[in-house]
Amino acid sequence: MAAIRVENLVKKYKNGVQALDGLSLRVNDGEIFSLLGQNGAGKSTLINVLTTYLRPTSGSVTMFGKDIYRESAAIRAQISCVAQRTSIDIHLSLTENMMFQSKLYKVSKSEAKKRMETLIKVFGLERYLKYSVSSYSGGIKRRLDIALSMMSNPKVLFLDEPTVGMDIQSRIAMWNMMKKIRNDFGTTIFLTTHYLEEADQLSDTICIMKKGKEVIQGMPHALREYLRQDMMKISFATKEEAKSCFQQLKSVIALKEIDLRHDKIITNLKNNHSDLEKANRWLLDYKIPFLGIEIMQPTLEDVFIRLTGENGKEVY
Amino acid sequence: MSVFTIFWRNVKWRFHNAFTVVITILQPMLWLVLYSAVAGQSMQGIGITNYTAFILPGLIVLVSFGACSSSGIMNYLMKTDGSFYRVLIAPVQRSSIVLGQVLEAVLCTFLEVAIIFIVSLFFSVKIASGFLGMLLIVLLVFMTAFFIAGLTYAISLCLPNEVVYETVMNAIVLPVFFLSTALFPLDMLSGGLAIVVNLNPFTHVINALRALILQGNIITLDIIFVFLLLAVMCFISFSWALHRLRKETSL
Repeated sequence: MAAIRVENLVKKYKNGVQALDGLSLRVNDGEIFSLLGQNGAGKSTLINVLTTYLRPTSGSVTMFGKDIYRESAAIRAQISCVAQRTSIDIHLSLTENMMFQSKLYKVSKSEAKKRMETLIKVFGLERYLKYSVSSYSGGIKRRLDIALSMMSNPKVLFLDEPTVGMDIQSRIAMWNMMKKIRNDFGTTIFLTTHYLEEADQLSDTICIMKKGKEVIQGMPHALREYLRQDMMKISFATKEEAKSCFQQLKSVIALKEIDLRHDKIITNLKNNHSDLEKANRWLLDYKIPFLGIEIMQPTLEDVFIRLTGENGKEVY
Repeated sequence: MSVFTIFWRNVKWRFHNAFTVVITILQPMLWLVLYSAVAGQSMQGIGITNYTAFILPGLIVLVSFGACSSSGIMNYLMKTDGSFYRVLIAPVQRSSIVLGQVLEAVLCTFLEVAIIFIVSLFFSVKIASGFLGMLLIVLLVFMTAFFIAGLTYAISLCLPNEVVYETVMNAIVLPVFFLSTALFPLDMLSGGLAIVVNLNPFTHVINALRALILQGNIITLDIIFVFLLLAVMCFISFSWALHRLRKETSL
Protein backbone atom coordinates (compact mmCIF):
# COMPACT_ATOMS: atom_id res chain seq x y z
CA MET A 1 0.00 0.00 0.00
CA ALA A 2 1.24 3.50 -0.80
CA ALA A 3 1.77 5.65 2.27
CA ILE A 4 2.62 8.68 0.15
CA ARG A 5 1.98 9.32 -3.51
CA VAL A 6 3.35 12.48 -5.11
CA GLU A 7 2.46 13.39 -8.66
CA ASN A 8 3.90 16.14 -10.77
CA LEU A 9 4.65 18.36 -7.79
CA VAL A 10 5.75 21.92 -8.49
CA LYS A 11 6.77 24.49 -5.91
CA LYS A 12 7.73 27.96 -7.01
CA TYR A 13 8.47 30.42 -4.20
CA LYS A 14 7.15 33.95 -4.37
CA ASN A 15 10.71 35.19 -4.92
CA GLY A 16 10.76 33.24 -8.19
CA VAL A 17 12.92 30.29 -7.09
CA GLN A 18 11.56 27.01 -8.43
CA ALA A 19 12.44 24.39 -5.82
CA LEU A 20 10.33 21.50 -7.19
CA ASP A 21 9.85 20.93 -10.87
CA GLY A 22 7.26 18.25 -11.61
CA LEU A 23 8.47 15.68 -9.06
CA SER A 24 6.69 12.32 -8.74
CA LEU A 25 7.37 9.51 -6.26
CA ARG A 26 5.75 6.77 -4.23
CA VAL A 27 6.51 5.70 -0.66
CA ASN A 28 5.28 2.33 0.55
CA ASP A 29 3.72 1.82 3.98
CA GLY A 30 6.20 0.70 6.64
CA GLU A 31 9.38 1.29 4.67
CA ILE A 32 12.41 3.52 5.08
CA PHE A 33 12.41 5.78 2.06
CA SER A 34 15.55 7.81 1.43
CA LEU A 35 15.58 10.89 -0.69
CA LEU A 36 19.08 11.63 -1.89
CA GLY A 37 20.13 14.94 -3.28
CA GLN A 38 22.76 17.61 -3.04
CA ASN A 39 22.24 20.93 -1.26
CA GLY A 40 19.64 22.93 -3.12
CA ALA A 41 18.11 19.88 -4.84
CA GLY A 42 14.73 20.65 -3.24
CA LYS A 43 14.73 17.98 -0.50
CA SER A 44 13.76 20.31 2.36
CA THR A 45 11.11 22.02 0.25
CA LEU A 46 9.62 18.61 -0.53
CA ILE A 47 9.54 17.72 3.18
CA ASN A 48 7.94 21.08 3.97
CA VAL A 49 5.27 20.41 1.36
CA LEU A 50 4.65 16.83 2.52
CA THR A 51 4.34 17.92 6.16
CA THR A 52 1.70 20.53 5.19
CA TYR A 53 4.04 23.36 6.15
CA LEU A 54 4.19 24.73 2.61
CA ARG A 55 1.56 24.78 -0.10
CA PRO A 56 2.69 23.50 -3.49
CA THR A 57 2.20 25.60 -6.60
CA SER A 58 0.68 22.64 -8.44
CA GLY A 59 0.59 18.83 -8.45
CA SER A 60 -0.99 16.40 -6.04
CA VAL A 61 0.07 14.72 -2.81
CA THR A 62 -1.95 11.96 -1.19
CA MET A 63 -1.13 10.24 2.07
CA PHE A 64 -2.92 6.96 2.83
CA GLY A 65 -5.32 7.91 0.03
CA LYS A 66 -6.17 11.34 1.49
CA ASP A 67 -5.35 14.61 -0.22
CA ILE A 68 -3.02 16.33 2.22
CA TYR A 69 -4.41 19.82 1.57
CA ARG A 70 -8.09 19.04 1.58
CA GLU A 71 -7.73 16.90 4.70
CA SER A 72 -4.71 18.54 6.30
CA ALA A 73 -6.09 18.31 9.85
CA ALA A 74 -6.47 14.52 9.58
CA ILE A 75 -3.05 14.18 7.93
CA ARG A 76 -1.30 16.31 10.55
CA ALA A 77 -2.51 13.94 13.25
CA GLN A 78 -0.76 11.05 11.45
CA ILE A 79 2.62 12.57 10.69
CA SER A 80 5.60 14.01 12.53
CA CYS A 81 8.66 15.80 11.30
CA VAL A 82 12.17 16.27 12.58
CA ALA A 83 13.41 19.28 10.66
CA GLN A 84 17.03 20.31 10.13
CA ARG A 85 16.58 23.03 12.75
CA THR A 86 15.73 21.34 16.05
CA SER A 87 12.34 22.40 17.32
CA ILE A 88 12.59 21.90 21.07
CA ASP A 89 11.50 24.35 23.77
CA ILE A 90 14.68 24.89 25.73
CA HIS A 91 12.76 26.49 28.61
CA LEU A 92 10.91 23.19 29.18
CA SER A 93 12.45 20.07 30.68
CA LEU A 94 12.85 16.86 28.66
CA THR A 95 9.64 15.36 30.09
CA GLU A 96 7.73 18.64 29.76
CA ASN A 97 8.70 18.80 26.09
CA MET A 98 7.41 15.27 25.59
CA MET A 99 4.15 15.92 27.43
CA PHE A 100 3.68 19.18 25.50
CA GLN A 101 4.00 17.25 22.24
CA SER A 102 1.47 14.66 23.42
CA LYS A 103 -1.01 17.41 24.32
CA LEU A 104 -0.66 18.96 20.86
CA TYR A 105 -1.70 15.58 19.43
CA LYS A 106 -4.39 15.04 22.08
CA VAL A 107 -2.84 11.85 23.45
CA SER A 108 -4.37 10.93 26.82
CA LYS A 109 -2.20 11.61 29.86
CA SER A 110 -1.84 7.97 30.90
CA GLU A 111 -1.00 6.86 27.35
CA ALA A 112 1.44 9.76 26.99
CA LYS A 113 3.26 8.74 30.17
CA LYS A 114 3.59 5.17 28.93
CA ARG A 115 4.92 6.29 25.56
CA MET A 116 7.28 8.74 27.18
CA GLU A 117 8.84 6.04 29.36
CA THR A 118 9.25 3.70 26.36
CA LEU A 119 10.78 6.39 24.16
CA ILE A 120 13.18 7.62 26.84
CA LYS A 121 14.41 4.03 27.13
CA VAL A 122 14.56 3.35 23.37
CA PHE A 123 16.41 6.59 22.67
CA GLY A 124 18.76 6.23 25.65
CA LEU A 125 17.73 9.52 27.21
CA GLU A 126 17.50 8.37 30.87
CA ARG A 127 20.75 9.95 31.96
CA TYR A 128 19.82 13.34 30.52
CA LEU A 129 16.59 13.64 32.52
CA LYS A 130 18.18 15.60 35.34
CA TYR A 131 19.85 18.20 33.10
CA SER A 132 18.24 21.23 31.49
CA VAL A 133 17.51 20.86 27.78
CA SER A 134 19.48 24.01 26.95
CA SER A 135 22.67 22.26 28.13
CA TYR A 136 22.26 19.28 25.75
CA SER A 137 24.69 18.77 22.89
CA GLY A 138 23.44 19.00 19.31
CA GLY A 139 23.33 15.19 18.99
CA ILE A 140 21.24 14.72 22.15
CA LYS A 141 18.89 17.52 21.12
CA ARG A 142 18.45 15.77 17.77
CA ARG A 143 17.74 12.48 19.56
CA LEU A 144 15.19 14.20 21.81
CA ASP A 145 13.64 15.85 18.77
CA ILE A 146 13.07 12.43 17.19
CA ALA A 147 11.75 10.98 20.47
CA LEU A 148 9.34 13.94 20.72
CA SER A 149 8.12 13.30 17.21
CA MET A 150 7.36 9.70 18.13
CA MET A 151 5.11 10.74 21.06
CA SER A 152 2.10 10.95 18.79
CA ASN A 153 2.84 7.48 17.38
CA PRO A 154 2.88 8.84 13.82
CA LYS A 155 2.23 6.69 10.79
CA VAL A 156 4.87 8.62 8.85
CA LEU A 157 7.98 10.18 10.34
CA PHE A 158 9.83 12.73 8.22
CA LEU A 159 13.51 13.22 8.97
CA ASP A 160 15.28 16.05 7.19
CA GLU A 161 19.01 15.22 7.07
CA PRO A 162 19.01 13.72 10.58
CA THR A 163 22.71 12.83 10.61
CA VAL A 164 24.18 15.96 9.07
CA GLY A 165 27.23 17.13 11.01
CA MET A 166 27.38 13.98 13.16
CA ASP A 167 30.50 11.89 13.72
CA ILE A 168 30.46 8.29 12.44
CA GLN A 169 29.55 6.70 15.83
CA SER A 170 26.57 9.03 16.29
CA ARG A 171 25.52 8.35 12.70
CA ILE A 172 25.58 4.60 13.22
CA ALA A 173 23.61 5.01 16.48
CA MET A 174 21.08 7.13 14.57
CA TRP A 175 20.79 4.48 11.83
CA ASN A 176 20.06 1.81 14.44
CA MET A 177 17.47 4.08 15.97
CA MET A 178 15.72 4.55 12.65
CA LYS A 179 15.66 0.80 12.01
CA LYS A 180 14.20 0.34 15.48
CA ILE A 181 11.48 2.92 14.80
CA ARG A 182 10.50 1.09 11.63
CA ASN A 183 10.69 -2.41 13.14
CA ASP A 184 9.27 -1.78 16.64
CA PHE A 185 6.71 0.93 15.89
CA GLY A 186 5.87 0.09 12.26
CA THR A 187 6.40 3.72 11.30
CA THR A 188 7.07 4.68 7.69
CA ILE A 189 10.24 6.78 7.59
CA PHE A 190 10.80 9.40 4.94
CA LEU A 191 14.39 10.53 5.18
CA THR A 192 16.46 13.04 3.27
CA THR A 193 20.22 12.79 3.11
CA HIS A 194 23.18 13.57 0.92
CA TYR A 195 25.18 10.56 2.11
CA LEU A 196 25.10 7.65 -0.39
CA GLU A 197 26.26 5.21 2.26
CA GLU A 198 23.46 6.19 4.63
CA ALA A 199 20.78 5.69 2.00
CA ASP A 200 22.34 2.39 0.94
CA GLN A 201 22.58 1.01 4.51
CA LEU A 202 19.16 2.04 5.72
CA SER A 203 16.66 2.19 2.96
CA ASP A 204 14.06 -0.06 1.47
CA THR A 205 13.67 2.43 -1.37
CA ILE A 206 15.95 5.19 -2.59
CA CYS A 207 15.02 8.15 -4.72
CA ILE A 208 17.69 10.45 -6.12
CA MET A 209 16.63 13.96 -7.01
CA LYS A 210 18.30 16.84 -8.73
CA LYS A 211 17.06 20.35 -9.48
CA GLY A 212 13.63 19.67 -8.03
CA LYS A 213 12.97 16.51 -10.00
CA GLU A 214 13.49 12.81 -9.37
CA VAL A 215 16.34 11.31 -11.39
CA ILE A 216 15.88 7.69 -10.40
CA GLN A 217 13.92 5.64 -7.85
CA GLY A 218 14.36 2.03 -6.83
CA MET A 219 15.46 -0.48 -4.24
CA PRO A 220 19.11 -0.33 -3.09
CA HIS A 221 20.04 -3.60 -4.81
CA ALA A 222 18.59 -2.33 -8.07
CA LEU A 223 20.65 0.83 -7.74
CA ARG A 224 23.78 -1.04 -6.67
CA GLU A 225 25.50 -0.41 -10.01
CA TYR A 226 25.11 3.31 -9.34
CA LEU A 227 25.72 3.37 -5.60
CA ARG A 228 28.39 0.78 -4.95
CA GLN A 229 30.39 0.36 -8.11
CA ASP A 230 34.11 1.03 -7.68
CA MET A 231 35.49 3.93 -9.65
CA MET A 232 38.97 4.64 -10.91
CA LYS A 233 40.42 8.13 -10.46
CA ILE A 234 43.56 9.35 -12.24
CA SER A 235 44.77 12.76 -11.07
CA PHE A 236 46.91 15.12 -13.14
CA ALA A 237 48.74 18.34 -12.37
CA THR A 238 46.80 20.39 -14.94
CA LYS A 239 43.57 20.29 -16.86
CA GLU A 240 45.51 20.22 -20.16
CA GLU A 241 47.51 17.13 -19.12
CA ALA A 242 44.28 15.36 -18.18
CA LYS A 243 42.71 16.29 -21.53
CA SER A 244 45.69 15.11 -23.56
CA CYS A 245 45.89 11.81 -21.69
CA PHE A 246 42.11 11.30 -21.95
CA GLN A 247 42.22 11.29 -25.76
CA GLN A 248 44.95 8.63 -25.85
CA LEU A 249 43.60 6.54 -22.95
CA LYS A 250 40.27 6.11 -24.78
CA SER A 251 42.00 3.57 -27.04
CA VAL A 252 43.11 1.52 -23.99
CA ILE A 253 39.97 1.43 -21.83
CA ALA A 254 36.35 2.39 -22.51
CA LEU A 255 35.82 6.04 -21.52
CA LYS A 256 32.94 8.46 -21.94
CA GLU A 257 33.23 12.20 -22.43
CA ILE A 258 31.71 12.76 -18.96
CA ASP A 259 34.67 10.90 -17.40
CA LEU A 260 36.98 13.84 -18.00
CA ARG A 261 36.52 16.19 -15.07
CA HIS A 262 38.88 19.18 -14.94
CA ASP A 263 42.28 17.78 -13.96
CA LYS A 264 41.02 14.24 -13.31
CA ILE A 265 39.72 11.25 -15.19
CA ILE A 266 37.06 9.43 -13.17
CA THR A 267 35.43 6.34 -14.62
CA ASN A 268 33.49 3.27 -13.50
CA LEU A 269 35.44 0.03 -13.34
CA LYS A 270 33.58 -2.29 -15.66
CA ASN A 271 35.92 -5.31 -15.76
CA ASN A 272 36.67 -5.79 -12.08
CA HIS A 273 40.07 -4.24 -11.63
CA SER A 274 41.59 -5.14 -15.01
CA ASP A 275 40.90 -1.60 -16.31
CA LEU A 276 42.97 -0.29 -13.42
CA GLU A 277 45.89 -2.56 -14.34
CA LYS A 278 45.62 -1.68 -18.04
CA ALA A 279 45.48 2.05 -17.41
CA ASN A 280 48.30 1.92 -14.87
CA ARG A 281 50.57 -0.08 -17.17
CA TRP A 282 49.82 2.22 -20.11
CA LEU A 283 50.57 5.37 -18.07
CA LEU A 284 53.89 3.95 -16.92
CA ASP A 285 54.90 2.46 -20.30
CA TYR A 286 54.27 5.72 -22.15
CA LYS A 287 55.71 7.81 -19.32
CA ILE A 288 52.58 9.92 -19.05
CA PRO A 289 52.98 12.42 -16.18
CA PHE A 290 50.24 11.92 -13.56
CA LEU A 291 49.89 12.55 -9.83
CA GLY A 292 48.12 9.37 -8.77
CA ILE A 293 45.77 6.54 -9.66
CA GLU A 294 43.34 5.04 -7.18
CA ILE A 295 40.11 3.12 -6.66
CA MET A 296 37.32 5.06 -4.96
CA GLN A 297 33.66 4.73 -4.01
CA PRO A 298 31.30 6.96 -6.01
CA THR A 299 30.18 10.22 -4.43
CA LEU A 300 26.71 11.59 -4.92
CA GLU A 301 28.12 13.88 -7.57
CA ASP A 302 29.55 10.88 -9.46
CA VAL A 303 26.16 9.17 -9.37
CA PHE A 304 24.46 12.32 -10.64
CA ILE A 305 26.95 12.72 -13.46
CA ARG A 306 26.46 9.13 -14.47
CA LEU A 307 22.68 9.24 -14.23
CA THR A 308 22.22 12.54 -15.96
CA GLY A 309 24.80 11.47 -18.52
CA GLU A 310 22.48 8.59 -19.31
CA ASN A 311 19.48 10.97 -19.40
CA GLY A 312 18.04 9.39 -16.25
CA LYS A 313 15.98 6.25 -15.97
CA GLU A 314 13.79 4.44 -13.49
CA VAL A 315 14.72 1.15 -11.87
CA TYR A 316 12.17 -0.93 -9.93
CA MET B 1 -7.81 22.53 24.86
CA SER B 2 -5.01 23.37 22.42
CA VAL B 3 -5.33 27.01 23.48
CA PHE B 4 -4.53 25.96 27.03
CA THR B 5 -1.57 23.84 25.84
CA ILE B 6 0.01 26.80 24.02
CA PHE B 7 -0.90 29.09 26.94
CA TRP B 8 0.81 26.69 29.38
CA ARG B 9 3.98 26.56 27.26
CA ASN B 10 4.18 30.35 27.25
CA VAL B 11 3.46 30.65 30.98
CA LYS B 12 6.37 28.25 31.58
CA TRP B 13 8.53 30.48 29.40
CA ARG B 14 7.51 33.47 31.54
CA PHE B 15 8.44 31.63 34.74
CA HIS B 16 11.75 30.67 33.16
CA ASN B 17 12.36 34.30 32.18
CA ALA B 18 10.79 36.07 35.16
CA PHE B 19 13.12 39.05 34.71
CA THR B 20 11.01 40.08 31.68
CA VAL B 21 8.24 41.00 34.14
CA VAL B 22 10.65 43.19 36.11
CA ILE B 23 12.09 44.82 32.98
CA THR B 24 8.72 45.69 31.47
CA ILE B 25 7.28 47.07 34.70
CA LEU B 26 10.35 49.10 35.62
CA GLN B 27 9.69 52.11 33.40
CA PRO B 28 5.97 52.53 34.31
CA MET B 29 6.93 52.15 37.97
CA LEU B 30 9.45 54.98 37.65
CA TRP B 31 6.77 57.14 36.05
CA LEU B 32 4.37 56.26 38.85
CA VAL B 33 6.74 56.86 41.74
CA LEU B 34 9.12 59.57 40.53
CA TYR B 35 7.34 61.47 37.79
CA SER B 36 4.03 61.72 39.64
CA ALA B 37 5.83 63.05 42.74
CA VAL B 38 7.78 65.66 40.76
CA ALA B 39 5.03 66.78 38.39
CA GLY B 40 2.22 66.38 40.94
CA GLN B 41 2.99 69.70 42.65
CA SER B 42 2.74 71.78 39.48
CA MET B 43 -0.40 69.92 38.40
CA GLN B 44 -2.20 70.94 41.59
CA GLY B 45 -2.38 74.42 40.09
CA ILE B 46 -4.72 73.20 37.33
CA GLY B 47 -7.03 71.35 39.70
CA ILE B 48 -5.56 67.83 39.68
CA THR B 49 -5.34 66.93 43.36
CA ASN B 50 -3.92 63.40 43.07
CA TYR B 51 -1.64 63.33 40.02
CA THR B 52 -0.62 59.69 40.70
CA ALA B 53 -4.26 58.64 40.29
CA PHE B 54 -4.44 60.87 37.20
CA ILE B 55 -1.53 59.23 35.36
CA LEU B 56 -2.34 55.68 36.53
CA PRO B 57 -4.60 54.89 33.48
CA GLY B 58 -1.85 56.00 31.08
CA LEU B 59 0.64 53.84 32.93
CA ILE B 60 -1.74 50.87 32.66
CA VAL B 61 -1.62 51.30 28.87
CA LEU B 62 2.18 51.65 29.03
CA VAL B 63 2.44 48.46 31.13
CA SER B 64 0.20 46.67 28.62
CA PHE B 65 2.50 47.66 25.78
CA GLY B 66 5.54 46.45 27.69
CA ALA B 67 4.07 43.12 28.73
CA CYS B 68 2.40 42.43 25.38
CA SER B 69 5.49 43.22 23.35
CA SER B 70 6.77 39.90 24.63
CA SER B 71 3.94 38.22 22.71
CA GLY B 72 5.79 39.25 19.56
CA ILE B 73 9.28 38.57 20.90
CA MET B 74 8.10 35.08 21.83
CA ASN B 75 7.70 34.28 18.11
CA TYR B 76 11.36 35.02 17.41
CA LEU B 77 12.47 33.00 20.44
CA MET B 78 10.22 30.07 19.57
CA LYS B 79 11.57 30.06 16.02
CA THR B 80 15.19 29.81 17.14
CA ASP B 81 14.97 27.87 20.42
CA GLY B 82 11.45 26.58 20.57
CA SER B 83 8.60 24.68 19.04
CA PHE B 84 7.27 27.31 16.59
CA TYR B 85 7.65 25.12 13.49
CA ARG B 86 6.68 21.87 15.24
CA VAL B 87 3.42 23.43 16.44
CA LEU B 88 2.61 24.60 12.91
CA ILE B 89 2.58 21.03 11.57
CA ALA B 90 0.71 19.63 14.59
CA PRO B 91 -3.06 19.17 14.37
CA VAL B 92 -3.70 22.48 16.13
CA GLN B 93 -5.91 25.25 14.78
CA ARG B 94 -4.06 28.44 13.85
CA SER B 95 -6.51 30.49 15.91
CA SER B 96 -5.67 28.38 19.00
CA ILE B 97 -1.95 29.06 18.50
CA VAL B 98 -2.51 32.83 18.36
CA LEU B 99 -5.08 32.84 21.16
CA GLY B 100 -2.88 30.81 23.54
CA GLN B 101 0.00 33.22 23.06
CA VAL B 102 -2.16 36.34 23.29
CA LEU B 103 -3.84 35.16 26.50
CA GLU B 104 -0.47 34.62 28.19
CA ALA B 105 0.45 38.22 27.37
CA VAL B 106 -2.90 39.32 28.83
CA LEU B 107 -2.19 37.35 32.00
CA CYS B 108 1.23 38.96 32.30
CA THR B 109 -0.37 42.38 31.80
CA PHE B 110 -2.82 41.68 34.65
CA LEU B 111 0.05 40.68 36.92
CA GLU B 112 1.91 43.90 36.18
CA VAL B 113 -1.22 46.07 36.41
CA ALA B 114 -1.97 44.48 39.81
CA ILE B 115 1.52 45.40 41.03
CA ILE B 116 1.10 48.98 39.74
CA PHE B 117 -2.30 49.24 41.50
CA ILE B 118 -0.88 47.93 44.77
CA VAL B 119 1.99 50.44 44.65
CA SER B 120 -0.43 53.25 43.79
CA LEU B 121 -2.37 52.48 46.99
CA PHE B 122 0.60 53.99 48.86
CA PHE B 123 -0.09 57.21 46.94
CA SER B 124 -3.71 57.36 48.18
CA VAL B 125 -5.20 56.12 44.91
CA LYS B 126 -8.71 54.72 45.32
CA ILE B 127 -11.26 53.48 42.80
CA ALA B 128 -14.10 55.93 43.19
CA SER B 129 -16.60 53.89 41.12
CA GLY B 130 -16.49 50.95 43.54
CA PHE B 131 -16.87 47.25 42.73
CA LEU B 132 -18.70 47.75 39.43
CA GLY B 133 -16.03 50.22 38.38
CA MET B 134 -13.37 47.67 39.32
CA LEU B 135 -15.04 45.04 37.09
CA LEU B 136 -15.21 47.48 34.21
CA ILE B 137 -11.53 48.35 34.70
CA VAL B 138 -10.65 44.63 34.57
CA LEU B 139 -12.59 44.26 31.33
CA LEU B 140 -11.00 47.36 29.81
CA VAL B 141 -7.50 46.15 30.76
CA PHE B 142 -8.29 42.72 29.29
CA MET B 143 -9.43 44.16 25.97
CA THR B 144 -6.57 46.66 25.78
CA ALA B 145 -3.99 43.94 26.43
CA PHE B 146 -5.73 41.56 24.00
CA PHE B 147 -5.61 44.20 21.27
CA ILE B 148 -1.95 45.06 21.86
CA ALA B 149 -0.87 41.40 22.12
CA GLY B 150 -2.59 40.59 18.81
CA LEU B 151 -0.97 43.64 17.23
CA THR B 152 2.54 42.76 18.45
CA TYR B 153 2.05 39.13 17.35
CA ALA B 154 1.20 40.26 13.81
CA ILE B 155 4.00 42.85 13.70
CA SER B 156 6.57 40.26 14.79
CA LEU B 157 5.59 37.98 11.89
CA CYS B 158 6.03 40.89 9.45
CA LEU B 159 9.51 41.89 10.61
CA PRO B 160 12.71 39.91 10.03
CA ASN B 161 14.33 39.91 13.49
CA GLU B 162 14.10 40.99 17.14
CA VAL B 163 16.25 44.09 16.68
CA VAL B 164 14.03 45.56 13.97
CA TYR B 165 10.97 44.52 15.98
CA GLU B 166 12.18 46.31 19.14
CA THR B 167 12.98 49.43 17.12
CA VAL B 168 9.55 49.48 15.50
CA MET B 169 7.81 48.87 18.84
CA ASN B 170 9.69 51.78 20.43
CA ALA B 171 8.72 53.95 17.48
CA ILE B 172 5.06 53.05 18.08
CA VAL B 173 4.82 53.10 21.89
CA LEU B 174 6.33 56.50 22.68
CA PRO B 175 4.23 58.56 20.20
CA VAL B 176 1.11 56.65 21.25
CA PHE B 177 1.87 57.39 24.91
CA PHE B 178 2.76 61.06 24.54
CA LEU B 179 0.04 61.83 21.98
CA SER B 180 -2.68 60.71 24.37
CA THR B 181 -4.15 62.07 27.58
CA ALA B 182 -1.80 59.87 29.65
CA LEU B 183 0.02 62.79 31.28
CA PHE B 184 -2.35 65.79 30.89
CA PRO B 185 -6.07 66.48 30.41
CA LEU B 186 -7.45 66.94 26.90
CA ASP B 187 -9.03 70.33 27.67
CA MET B 188 -5.55 71.82 27.99
CA LEU B 189 -4.96 71.17 24.28
CA SER B 190 -6.19 72.97 21.18
CA GLY B 191 -5.76 72.96 17.40
CA GLY B 192 -4.11 70.14 15.45
CA LEU B 193 -2.57 68.52 18.51
CA ALA B 194 -6.01 68.14 20.11
CA ILE B 195 -7.29 66.44 16.93
CA VAL B 196 -4.34 64.01 16.87
CA VAL B 197 -4.77 63.18 20.56
CA ASN B 198 -8.50 62.65 19.98
CA LEU B 199 -7.82 60.32 17.08
CA ASN B 200 -5.58 58.17 19.28
CA PRO B 201 -7.84 55.32 20.47
CA PHE B 202 -5.82 54.99 23.68
CA THR B 203 -6.92 58.52 24.62
CA HIS B 204 -10.47 57.17 24.98
CA VAL B 205 -9.33 54.07 26.85
CA ILE B 206 -7.28 56.23 29.25
CA ASN B 207 -10.19 58.68 29.71
CA ALA B 208 -12.58 55.82 30.49
CA LEU B 209 -10.17 54.27 33.00
CA ARG B 210 -9.56 57.69 34.55
CA ALA B 211 -13.27 58.33 34.90
CA LEU B 212 -13.72 54.99 36.66
CA ILE B 213 -10.80 55.65 39.02
CA LEU B 214 -11.44 59.32 39.82
CA GLN B 215 -15.21 59.75 39.47
CA GLY B 216 -17.93 57.96 41.38
CA ASN B 217 -20.52 58.23 38.60
CA ILE B 218 -20.14 56.06 35.50
CA ILE B 219 -21.17 57.67 32.20
CA THR B 220 -22.69 54.66 30.45
CA LEU B 221 -22.53 56.01 26.88
CA ASP B 222 -18.85 56.86 27.13
CA ILE B 223 -18.01 53.43 28.54
CA ILE B 224 -20.07 51.63 25.86
CA PHE B 225 -18.29 53.64 23.15
CA VAL B 226 -14.88 52.62 24.49
CA PHE B 227 -15.90 48.95 24.76
CA LEU B 228 -17.17 48.97 21.18
CA LEU B 229 -13.99 50.69 20.01
CA LEU B 230 -11.84 48.10 21.78
CA ALA B 231 -13.98 45.22 20.48
CA VAL B 232 -13.42 46.37 16.90
CA MET B 233 -9.69 46.89 17.54
CA CYS B 234 -9.36 43.43 19.15
CA PHE B 235 -11.10 41.84 16.18
CA ILE B 236 -8.82 43.61 13.71
CA SER B 237 -5.57 42.83 15.57
CA PHE B 238 -6.49 39.17 16.16
CA SER B 239 -7.52 38.71 12.52
CA TRP B 240 -4.27 40.31 11.35
CA ALA B 241 -2.21 38.06 13.65
CA LEU B 242 -4.10 35.01 12.35
CA HIS B 243 -3.60 36.12 8.76
CA ARG B 244 0.15 36.57 9.32
CA LEU B 245 0.47 33.15 10.93
CA ARG B 246 -1.36 31.53 8.03
CA LYS B 247 1.00 33.32 5.64
CA GLU B 248 3.96 31.62 7.36
CA THR B 249 2.99 28.47 5.46
CA SER B 250 2.39 30.08 2.06
CA LEU B 251 5.81 31.41 1.11
